[in-house]
Amino acid sequence: MTSIRGNKVVVGVFSFMDDAMNAVKAAKAQGLDYRVYSPVPNHDLEALTYPEKSPVRFFTATGAVAGLTFGFALAILCSLDYPLRVSAKDIISVPGFVVIGYECTILFGAIATLLAMFHFCKVPDIFRKIGYDPRFSQDKFGVVVGCGAAQTDEVSEKLKQCGADEVEVRNGL
Amino acid sequence: MGHHGTQEHKEEAPVTYAEVDSTVAKMMEPPTLGWYILLATCLLCVGVGAASWTRQILVGIGESGKSHPISWGAYITNFVFWVGIAHSGTLISAVLYLFRAKFRNSIYRLAEAMTVFAVLTAGLFPLIHLGRPWFFYWLMPYPNQMALWPNFRSPLLWDVFAVSTYLTVSATFFIVGLIPDVAIMRDRAKTTFRKVLYTVTALGWSGSHTQWKHYTSAYLLFAAFATPLVVSVHSVVSWDFAVSIVPGWHATIFPPYFVAGAIFSGVAMVMTLAIPIRAVYKLERLITLQHFDAMSKLIMLTSGVVSYAYITEFYTAWYSNNPFERAQFWFRPFGDYWIAFWIMAFCNCMAPLALWYKPLRTNIAFLFVLSIFINIGMWFERFNIIVQSLSHDFIPAVWGYYNFSWVDVGITIGAFGWFGMWMTLFIKFFPAVAIMEIKEILPPPMRNEHAHGH
Repeated sequence: MTSIRGNKVVVGVFSFMDDAMNAVKAAKAQGLDYRVYSPVPNHDLEALTYPEKSPVRFFTATGAVAGLTFGFALAILCSLDYPLRVSAKDIISVPGFVVIGYECTILFGAIATLLAMFHFCKVPDIFRKIGYDPRFSQDKFGVVVGCGAAQTDEVSEKLKQCGADEVEVRNGL
Repeated sequence: MGHHGTQEHKEEAPVTYAEVDSTVAKMMEPPTLGWYILLATCLLCVGVGAASWTRQILVGIGESGKSHPISWGAYITNFVFWVGIAHSGTLISAVLYLFRAKFRNSIYRLAEAMTVFAVLTAGLFPLIHLGRPWFFYWLMPYPNQMALWPNFRSPLLWDVFAVSTYLTVSATFFIVGLIPDVAIMRDRAKTTFRKVLYTVTALGWSGSHTQWKHYTSAYLLFAAFATPLVVSVHSVVSWDFAVSIVPGWHATIFPPYFVAGAIFSGVAMVMTLAIPIRAVYKLERLITLQHFDAMSKLIMLTSGVVSYAYITEFYTAWYSNNPFERAQFWFRPFGDYWIAFWIMAFCNCMAPLALWYKPLRTNIAFLFVLSIFINIGMWFERFNIIVQSLSHDFIPAVWGYYNFSWVDVGITIGAFGWFGMWMTLFIKFFPAVAIMEIKEILPPPMRNEHAHGH
């Protein structure tokens, strides 16, 4: 889990998603770093917090191409290394090798996607969750704003104005 | 659903996120006596299977019913059956995800668990089928002393790649889908054991906006990979047969025929599992009659495709004027194994026709019985393809009859126990209904309802 800018974090617990979104807009307007925790993914929230496309897809494509190359190379090189003609088929029987290439494309592509997802989601990491509250996986939304010690009161007030049920100041990382 | 009257009111979807959490969490409360009895029964079956396999290893492969000319018998029938069962899990989780079919959300976790455990079961059979299972690694292309590589033109090797890819990708898809739900359980856990179990398996998931972004992106890509896998795996399994010249196997129709059959049997197995779980854990508000109606329609469709494939096989055998094909397809309904053929025809083609009568598509008791009929019918379909074709090929002098041995029966029972054991453990320790995905289709809590963009 990457850190949030600022030596303090203000954690706002929200019951409503639109309130949490207003809090994010306020943090953005002040140029403060923030993180949003939500029980489910949501398009509106995503458009506000992370409108860019995820880079995971580039890793997927790289894995898939590597798998395709590996599958064909494995079948062709093994066949050339031990050339045994079976039922008058070519030593390099491309139609048969398509199956190996196809399966390896999927296998490598999926593994690359998994590793990329782990990398960008910063998991596994069971300890460091800045400003996390167990209710954020159930039915509450969390907006965690990073700031300096001098700004905590101002930020807390802003989160309350946006509709936070609770506000808490914690040490940042 | 309108015609269900009062039942409709009883089965409305849960309104709040918290209600979904608590309903699913109740399933994972400390086990009851009934759960222990179920687990013990499964373990007993596994014991029977293990004892049978041990006997086969100690005495020899002759302990199974396999004998010339039928070298593929109960084990390969079981293998194809379980790979087939595995298919609808990926269909429901990946294909329906890409089509945004929301009815999948309540049942997909169960279907995916079924997929992974069914592939684990299927994967045992090629090993059991080997006379010397400790040499199974000879299937893998690895550098060895004899500079010998496996034959990449053989469908049996394609099968190794297809099934192992399927197991890896479906298990990955399943585990990735579980992560946010396990995090919910971690945050609700009361005992130390569960706290530790879920803290470790949730991998530190927090549901931050960056995590959701990459997670949803990756999940879509997994679905995009899993979809062509559904089509490819059973196509490859069908080529184990279709690429040969054996009458009854040598048919170009096999890949779509097998894929449709796999989805047919898989959806039936989802019903067989979902109906008792729904009743025991009172999940009527999460798995509604609408879900059963949708699954029934999938069964109607795939039953139609499978029935069409059966008829096509007979037609092509007749139209080809090939005496061997004609003899094989006469042998199937009227030969030594006529009972197996007619069980298949009744269970797979005739019984599902009842679903054209709409009230039966939401009649839970009827669907449970029908799903078991389909499971039986699909097991016999594989038996008919494999054993009947081998026992009656080109030369009458080598025709034979397959006698089931006790070892065959014991290992078949063991497979059901093995599958049941994993399912039983899974529903008690992990969320068998996808919490996050059900929450996702609920409207998010908004102070100002008009602000919600959807």
